[in-house]
Amino acid sequence: MGIRTAGGILRKNLSPAFIVIVVSLLLPALSAGSAAAGDVNLSSKTYLLGYERELAGGQTDRYAPLYEYLSADAANLGGHPLSMHFYGWGRADLGDQSGTGKTSGEFSSFFLEYQDPHGNAQGKLGRFFLTEGAAMDVIDGVFVKGTSSVGLGVSLYGGVPVEYTILPGAQTADSIYGGRVFYVKSGFAEIGASYLKENGSTSDLDRELYGGDLWVRVAGPVELTAQAYYNDSASEMASQRYAVRIVPGAAFDISAGYEAYNYKGLFRSALNPAFVFPALDNNDKVQTIFGIVDWEFRPAWTLEVSGKNIRHDNSDPGDANRGEVGLRYAYNNKKDVAGISAAFVSADQDENEYQQYRAFASYSPEKLRMTLDGLYTHYKQAINGTNNAYQVVATAGYQVLAALQVSGNLTYTQGPNFENDYAGLVRVSYDLGFSTGGKK
Amino acid sequence: MMRRAHAANILGATLLALLFGCSAVSQSPSVPPKHPEELPAGRVNCLECHENVSTGALKPYATFSHSGVFIRSHGTYARQGQNLCSACHAPAFCRTCHAGKEEIKPNTKMGDRPDRMLPHRGDYTVTHQMDGRLDPGSCYRCHGNKNDVKCKQCHR
Repeated sequence: MGIRTAGGILRKNLSPAFIVIVVSLLLPALSAGSAAAGDVNLSSKTYLLGYERELAGGQTDRYAPLYEYLSADAANLGGHPLSMHFYGWGRADLGDQSGTGKTSGEFSSFFLEYQDPHGNAQGKLGRFFLTEGAAMDVIDGVFVKGTSSVGLGVSLYGGVPVEYTILPGAQTADSIYGGRVFYVKSGFAEIGASYLKENGSTSDLDRELYGGDLWVRVAGPVELTAQAYYNDSASEMASQRYAVRIVPGAAFDISAGYEAYNYKGLFRSALNPAFVFPALDNNDKVQTIFGIVDWEFRPAWTLEVSGKNIRHDNSDPGDANRGEVGLRYAYNNKKDVAGISAAFVSADQDENEYQQYRAFASYSPEKLRMTLDGLYTHYKQAINGTNNAYQVVATAGYQVLAALQVSGNLTYTQGPNFENDYAGLVRVSYDLGFSTGGKK
Repeated sequence: MMRRAHAANILGATLLALLFGCSAVSQSPSVPPKHPEELPAGRVNCLECHENVSTGALKPYATFSHSGVFIRSHGTYARQGQNLCSACHAPAFCRTCHAGKEEIKPNTKMGDRPDRMLPHRGDYTVTHQMDGRLDPGSCYRCHGNKNDVKCKQCHR
């Protein structure tokens, strides 16, 4: 399919769409034999999209990609604190080819997890999304973590990173491993030091990160967080983020902080050419100061205000400020929300400046659900001869059975890329849960 | 090379000391693998039922109430541990946005959930040029190693 994934022959030869179908058939049988009937969740989401695109030369292509997303989670396997998780999707084009090939898909997650009922001991084996210290990667591998009675803990992981590349000539990395040591004092602080090593296909794509992270509740509702990562392979800081947050209760939450990253340090192992020279000047550095307030000033009414100052070392793209204000109202036992928002970006360069206004609402009487979402964008500098873009999304759905919902989107778009574009989507969601308890 | 080997040795020794030198794994309760109650509609507010500090995550429940502030900074907390997240969220939830090869935008898939903070609303192929120039770090987290036919059309 023209896609290089890390890993062995098995993964390269088996179509993800095929795996999705096989696992969807096998998992209920597997879990029925080994897990209590109350601990299995299965989810199938089918999407049929329909849209047209006019190509150069006057040709019009009509697309109708059919997607199937499957998710299965089985817990308490064999009466042990073991669980198994699967998530994947596949596409088949019923019209013209919409992506890389007429079929595509991804085997997103498939792992066995152990989670001890005591002491935060846990382990994962398989393909999973890992966020641990310096790591925020999908890996085929193993992860273990444990905390001692005095609050000292350690986590270790290793495997092959699951990556995809469109960078010409680049292969995905061969291995990734690392760990984190930390100390946690319940309700007061957690401090960690982490290490990550990724062996790229060439030394230019190696990544070796040393990181530190901190969460501390300095007083009552006031907490400080800090994260900093140094990329030794690039001999540069990769990223750093420091924030103070005050959250006295559920009705009010405010945070402000500073964030910075160096392109050379952060983007070193990128396999998407959008993040490397010449698309970006790798000597640039970004520093941002941000603030955000989320305030439920009356029951069901929430005001959100945020601001961000972005500064670049390089005059191109230059600096910018982004401000956003939004108001939300929740009703119908919080099942429905209506909101309005406005966002403003002012920038040194006109090509980076825009304003955006949005309004949305939902209405869910009984088994029906309808939503309307409108977005207007004004670009300071015209793109393809226009400064304005509009999009309206209307949806309607019906809960056919407790586990089955059928719904659809109709989207109208007008803007720099589209004079008048209509796109449709039909969605069939089937969620079967033999469980008491929450999973979203 | 010497510096790297030295650092690796120090890390290895520290890990071994922690593994074998510390007392046994804590016996304090951990986070249950699954939230025992059905969650209500709307943004989650842990404080509706919980007080004080979460077991397992060992941070106040207020920290995890799903305000706009939390949603925008959830990565900070996830990097210190995912066990509290996974009590309510299946892996599929994270991978909706943190995807490898995803072809449908999250807000298209969940067009019937305009209340959710989902990235890339509107014709984002236009607006991403501005956001990408000004703050490419925010794009990198999901798109740095992503094969997307739409990226390919311009980023070759």
